[in-house]
Amino acid sequence: MSRPTSVIQARRLSKSFHGRLVLLEIDLDIATGECVALTGNNGAGKTTLLRCLAAIARPTAGEVRWFGRPAGASAEQRRLLGVTAHESRLYPNLTLRENLIFAARMCGMSGPARRADATLERIGLSRFADRQARQASKGIRQRLALARVLVHDPPILLLDEPFCGLDAAGRGWLAGVLHERRNAGCAVLFSTHDEGQSRQLADRTLSLHAKTLTDLRQPVASGPPEEDLPQAA
Amino acid sequence: MATQFWWLIHKDLIVEHRTRQAWPAMLLLGIVVAVVFSLQMELLPEQSPAVAGGLLWLATLFAGLIAIERTCAAEQQDGCWDGLVLYPIAPATIYLAKLSVNVIALLALECVLIPLFVVLAGVPLLQHPWAMALIAMLGSVGIAAVGTLVSTLARGLQQRGAVLSLLVMPLVVPVVLAAAEATRLIAQDDLGSQWWRWVQFLGAFAVVFTTVGIVLVGFLVED
Repeated sequence: MSRPTSVIQARRLSKSFHGRLVLLEIDLDIATGECVALTGNNGAGKTTLLRCLAAIARPTAGEVRWFGRPAGASAEQRRLLGVTAHESRLYPNLTLRENLIFAARMCGMSGPARRADATLERIGLSRFADRQARQASKGIRQRLALARVLVHDPPILLLDEPFCGLDAAGRGWLAGVLHERRNAGCAVLFSTHDEGQSRQLADRTLSLHAKTLTDLRQPVASGPPEEDLPQAA
Repeated sequence: MATQFWWLIHKDLIVEHRTRQAWPAMLLLGIVVAVVFSLQMELLPEQSPAVAGGLLWLATLFAGLIAIERTCAAEQQDGCWDGLVLYPIAPATIYLAKLSVNVIALLALECVLIPLFVVLAGVPLLQHPWAMALIAMLGSVGIAAVGTLVSTLARGLQQRGAVLSLLVMPLVVPVVLAAAEATRLIAQDDLGSQWWRWVQFLGAFAVVFTTVGIVLVGFLVED
């Protein structure tokens, strides 16, 4: 069996803020088609690790590579990436449709309006298309935030607590999306506090504790529970 | 890049049109400053052209800072800045788009203030309209280049507005002085070599600070 291609690679990654060490010599590999959960207590540094992996935050030491090349070295390279955070990163005064069109345009996609409409249809938010993001519920904004980063089909997904704020239907929908993206060959890393979720959805779980990462190997998951799948559309 | 640049400007103008967070306050402050300056100063007709340039550019700077501060502050809402820098676009494109939006705001302000000074203070600023347009453009680019750079630098700070004023005001003194002098010479119908030197200075200032912004913004977008 051939060794899977490493899509995201971190070597001896350390990060400190104002002299306070948050991450210490983290080594990490995520392969094509692998879905990995990241767990850890509040303040353990999960968001910081995701920000370093996304090249939003510069590591104090060590390096991050995407497909074997230094992460974020060029603007074009960021096309490989889809990142969600605690914030929705949506423009509150643009409509849901306009937010998606803007994202598609920034990613240089052709037919941004058509793509936005198709995405809204796929995530079941077509009827809210002309509602401004500030008027939408947290759950809808959360769904749209994820749709926004999927609009250009990136091969790397870094999701910071993506299940937070979603109702049961939303969680089912997201589980379906993760399953679908993994099957499409995407490398997915998502942070969560829910061990059940990580066992159910991820191929393996990484635990961030005392600034270091522990790989809690587990058998490859077969996908989300059957009742969650229809939500994926 | 050109397409993304255009859509960034389009997005900012749409958001401002819907929220009206910066432009009404900017225009109101500019008008108030212009009216107070024009009506309170009892100057002889021959003295007005000598001071009108300085007053016009001070009004532009004070009022324009409101719009400049809002351009970057709007991106701080809901983590939009992080979303923006994660798109496959060069940081320089983001900087140039923000700079363009600020220049548009300053030019809109001047489109109101210049006729106001003509009417209220009786200063013939529009006797050489193309010369005045050139000074307005170069002065606006100079102020906006500094303001956009500092605004990007201060985007994570809570006291962003105060920091912006403290850093921008000293840095733009040369451009305000040059623009005021060039405007005075237009009002005094003197477009000679001295006027041309001020134009060259304004052009050099705009080019230097725009270039500095393009070079530095890449370092400013990371944590």
